[in-house]
Amino acid sequence: MELVPQLIINGLLYGSLLALPAIGFTTIFAVLRFPNFSVASIATIGAFAALVANVDLGLPIIASVAVAFLVAGAVGVATDKIVLQPMRPYGALTTAIASIALTVVLENMVRFGFGNDIRGYDLPILRDWRFWGIRVGPQQVENLIVSAAVMTALFLFLRFGRFGKAMRAVADNPQLALLKGIPTERVTQLAVFIAMGLVGIGGVLQGLGTAIDPLTGFRFILSIFAAAVVGGLGSIPGAVAGAFVIGIGEELSLVVLDATYKSTVGFFAILLVLTLRPQGLLGRKRA
Amino acid sequence: MHKTFHVRRRQFLAGTAAGASLLAMPAIVRAQPAALRIGTLTPLTGAGGNYGPSMRDAIVGVVDAVNGAGGVLGQPIEIISEDTQTSPEAAVRAARKLVDLDGVSAVMGTWASAVTTAVAPVCWESARMLFTVSGADSITQLPHMGYIIRTQPNSQLQIRVAAEFMIAQGAQRMAWIGPQTPFAESSIAIMAEVAAANGASMESLIYEADKTSYRSEVDQIMAGDPDFLLLGGYATDTTVLLRDLYQAGYEGGMIGPAYAVNQSVLDALPAEVLEGVFTWEGTPDIGSGAYARVQEILGVDVVDPYSAQTYDHANLCILAAAAASGASGEAIRDAVRTISQGDGEAVDNALDGLEILAAGGAVNYTGASGPCDFTEIGDITGTQFLIKRIEGGAAVDFERI
Repeated sequence: MELVPQLIINGLLYGSLLALPAIGFTTIFAVLRFPNFSVASIATIGAFAALVANVDLGLPIIASVAVAFLVAGAVGVATDKIVLQPMRPYGALTTAIASIALTVVLENMVRFGFGNDIRGYDLPILRDWRFWGIRVGPQQVENLIVSAAVMTALFLFLRFGRFGKAMRAVADNPQLALLKGIPTERVTQLAVFIAMGLVGIGGVLQGLGTAIDPLTGFRFILSIFAAAVVGGLGSIPGAVAGAFVIGIGEELSLVVLDATYKSTVGFFAILLVLTLRPQGLLGRKRA
Repeated sequence: MHKTFHVRRRQFLAGTAAGASLLAMPAIVRAQPAALRIGTLTPLTGAGGNYGPSMRDAIVGVVDAVNGAGGVLGQPIEIISEDTQTSPEAAVRAARKLVDLDGVSAVMGTWASAVTTAVAPVCWESARMLFTVSGADSITQLPHMGYIIRTQPNSQLQIRVAAEFMIAQGAQRMAWIGPQTPFAESSIAIMAEVAAANGASMESLIYEADKTSYRSEVDQIMAGDPDFLLLGGYATDTTVLLRDLYQAGYEGGMIGPAYAVNQSVLDALPAEVLEGVFTWEGTPDIGSGAYARVQEILGVDVVDPYSAQTYDHANLCILAAAAASGASGEAIRDAVRTISQGDGEAVDNALDGLEILAAGGAVNYTGASGPCDFTEIGDITGTQFLIKRIEGGAAVDFERI
């Protein structure tokens, strides 16, 4: 078994899992101009919503993913309206800190509802396929397909739909968008709904390959944040690129670093990008 | 409206006389000893969240029984419960509150070794006892001045038992894989020693605890083609790891501590992933009177080893305070070995022990977790281990060592 090609494949597959929540995170930053760290718990909530749909209601996985999208989106919009919107006049930093508090509250609400135990979806665990000494898990391939399908749908929706244009206008200049008659408040809420829905799907996909508990989302928040920063905060294609950079970087780091230091890749990437290219890989320079 | 009190001369004299005679009494009569205050500091949430609530309940059960019979030192015992969140930062905040604000004399039930390591200085610097169930060797080697008592076999003993079991099962290429914990390095060293003594090879990999996948780590450890793995983590990461090992097609033997390959892991993973995995644990003294009491307190058939231990913590603490006639951490520290070992009458609960102590006798407490005899640095001197094998999704007793 060749280690380096295997690590690159592992990184690509991990990157595809990171991409959706990273898109969600960066979209919220694009329209609302603050990093919303409550995505950690929203991912967990998505994962648990799909668990209820799959295990308790017996729905198939694809339907459970849709449930996760709706529930995570709804919780995301509701918490934004109730908790974060009143904070926004006090600045991005205040709102970001409030979002950290929010994620702790949401995580503990999941604990109250579901307990601390680790849960698994009603899915068989299959042995990996092997091609030329490289192994790939059937579940990972399925996750990759779901992730790619959702991303394609999103790009088409944003590129060709009226909403996509409206969202870009609001992200560019909310005042101007309002003057042009774009209902910025509604556009913002819909953007948050879609973004948080994607984060929820990210939580499910993460859980399908492993297991879930109330800390599921918290475990990959640093990678999500790093992916968004590396790609350029506010840039959706950037978030996808950033997700793959971080995914591959974390896995490849095992060649030179102890496994204990895997997370330093995220920190290091953030540091490097903020120092050398603050706008990120695909972000736009701000005046 | 004002109300004026008139004190008559006779009343004044009587009051003064009473006050004076009170002052003349010996100090011991005048000063009712302070009530014993116990702080439970168990992992109610986080990786240890499966155990924390029942660990706390076992302590509360002991305290309720003693309070029902009048308490200790003539007063009811007070109990304050906090959550470690299985996080050293949160645990230190909670310990500071217990020590500084609530004024407890003893903190009991810290579970994860990293948590205990962080909480221990808070306790010994304020001269409070710390009763723990953590296994890392380094804990009792801290300069704790006698303020730490642990009922869990230390990791040296645990790992040696597991490594020798692996050899007995025919392991030739042994490997340790687990997260960074205070016992990771020492576990690897002990396993390497056992492997070398038996002509087996040994590999190890320490990973980061909170990751959602260990595929690449599995690729790395499997590059050495091990035939028996020791899984050194906790339940959450072990769930991820077991799954990744199965998917990678690993077919060799595996053993993990029972706290990591626990019921929640069995529930979360399909049976085929866990088939043939061994677990091992220091086992409670099943069949003892103390064990039956914990069963009754918790209302369960099977008591986990940690709740059995915290039951012992509470009993040891109460008996030590009674034997010392004092509720301070120092008094408990000085007296704990006088009631846990020696020639005293064997007892398995605080109520019986308190009666014997009140009658001027000596006691030797033997608890739900085992004999509860301690070395100078606070380690238990012996315990029994139970090896189980997972068959068809359930852990079946395999061997007692």
